[in-house]
Amino acid sequence: MQLPVLNEAPAPASKGGCSASSCGTTDNQMDSLPDSIREKVQNHPCYSEDAHHYFARMHVAVAPACNIQCHYCNRKYDCANESRPGVVSELLTPDQAVKKTMAVAATIPQMTVLGIAGPGDPLANPERTFETFRRLSEEAPDIKLCVSTNGLALPDSVEELSKHNIDHVTITINTVDPEIGAKIYPWIFWNNKRIKGKKGAKILIEQQQKGLEMLIAKGILVKVNSVMIPGVNDKHLAEVSKIVKSKGAFLHNVMPLIAEAEHGTFYGVMGQRGPTPDELQDLQDSCSGDMNMMRHCRQCRADAVGLLGEDRGDEFTLDKIEDMEIDYQAAMEKRKVIHQAIQAEMDGKRLEKAEKAQQFKQEPKLSTRPVLMAVATSGQGVINMHFGHAKEFLIYEASPEGVRFISHRKADQYCGGDSTCGDGESVLQLTIRALAGCEAVLCSKIGYEPWDMLEAAGIVPNGEHAMESIEEAVMAVYKEMAAAGKLDEKPEAARASA
Amino acid sequence: MAVKIVESCVNCFACEPVCPSKAIYEAKPHFLVNSKKCTECEGDYPVFQCASICPIEGAILNSMGEAINPPGSLTGIPPEKMAEAMAELQSH
Repeated sequence: MQLPVLNEAPAPASKGGCSASSCGTTDNQMDSLPDSIREKVQNHPCYSEDAHHYFARMHVAVAPACNIQCHYCNRKYDCANESRPGVVSELLTPDQAVKKTMAVAATIPQMTVLGIAGPGDPLANPERTFETFRRLSEEAPDIKLCVSTNGLALPDSVEELSKHNIDHVTITINTVDPEIGAKIYPWIFWNNKRIKGKKGAKILIEQQQKGLEMLIAKGILVKVNSVMIPGVNDKHLAEVSKIVKSKGAFLHNVMPLIAEAEHGTFYGVMGQRGPTPDELQDLQDSCSGDMNMMRHCRQCRADAVGLLGEDRGDEFTLDKIEDMEIDYQAAMEKRKVIHQAIQAEMDGKRLEKAEKAQQFKQEPKLSTRPVLMAVATSGQGVINMHFGHAKEFLIYEASPEGVRFISHRKADQYCGGDSTCGDGESVLQLTIRALAGCEAVLCSKIGYEPWDMLEAAGIVPNGEHAMESIEEAVMAVYKEMAAAGKLDEKPEAARASA
Repeated sequence: MAVKIVESCVNCFACEPVCPSKAIYEAKPHFLVNSKKCTECEGDYPVFQCASICPIEGAILNSMGEAINPPGSLTGIPPEKMAEAMAELQSH
């Protein structure tokens, strides 16, 4: 495509390491990437933090079979209301998947990426997976194709993957140590046998590492996903990060374990807890010295459709797409125009950001403590969502170094049934609890009731920056807080590590 | 002499391609085994292929009608622990 490459913008200090870029924002995970990779990922919502405000993705659930068992997965689970990897509502044939993909691409033109992520392991279903990729690369050539895998069958699939124009692969690597692996993977199916424990984990780890090396040798981009499991692999993931980076993976996505008893998973039933937001952030920060970290992952379903954080799958069920007439040639024309417009907008924003960064550098540096703020947005990188409509909040950290994106938090986290979560707790109370540790919420509007409740919880509601750029608004609020002398001391609810 | 797939099958397709006798077929509401074709893998493999990849405990029975993968054998969740968790959830 004839899109301007990113470094045509006046690159502010391309050296100087990563996290503290001169941008006034410090969240630019892309800063340290070579241009060739940046060009490939700049419109990929999963690989580029700023792209995820604009571009959408979808998964097609064509791959039901799996060749391993993970302790965070339950193969019986299928629930329309539940959103996590491995969960789907309808399994598709390759033919249905192609039709659905084209229907979505025509309806949601900002959808740039089609992934196959399950609900089993895509490479354990090679016929269904590759048939889908083969047809899409022919019939919808403007869609980027990617796949995620546990890695067991990866070395055998690299050749086939490289044939289908797939330039992004995600491997889930939770460990490089078979002892730890045995605590995560109870068994694998390998060479016509079920192999349990350390022996199985060792084979899986070897296959993952071999597959990673083979993909890199082929010039295919590799992202590594890891599930952070406190007490199991949390101390070990920084080492995993170093190893996969040294082998050429370009991005590491450390995700929190999701484990609830009602999921019927080993970890859920056995009471294994997931990490707190603080623990996750600390681990991501400790890896970030060595590796580009992805922090905007929503751990989406294997049939998710839309922008990250939203799911429009209901609009594209099999019976609905059956009735849709798609003229894909016409859709491609329209998509091209829209993609160019989005790209121009993003480039403009990047340029603006660089200019602001220059200004920020000239200003006297604050010596105040960092603050977490929550933002309600529906995309485009601006504050454009009503507090009460937000299903999730993006969390940003403002500090004298600038503003950086930290994570997202779900607003509608439901009660896990534990004693800390009283039965009478309203959705609003749950939302406010989900924002623990934040000192301000920026949204386009907010009602009186939540306003009072937020204030009572020590979180300052702010509706003054509607339609403004997130980073600028967060910095403006930070400066106001600093000027008001609120940042000289730690707040009661300050993060232990802040 | 044949294995049997029962209703706890989740239709994940894993067993179908690994069957050396092509005895397993997709059906509603779940996959089934053609008992005339099933050889219990004799002559091909020392272990049942379908039951060696099946992720669901109790979904495949041997010719005696016993679960080849009994409760707890695949997930590692002790059956009593699972029962406890389910009872706990239902009480809510």
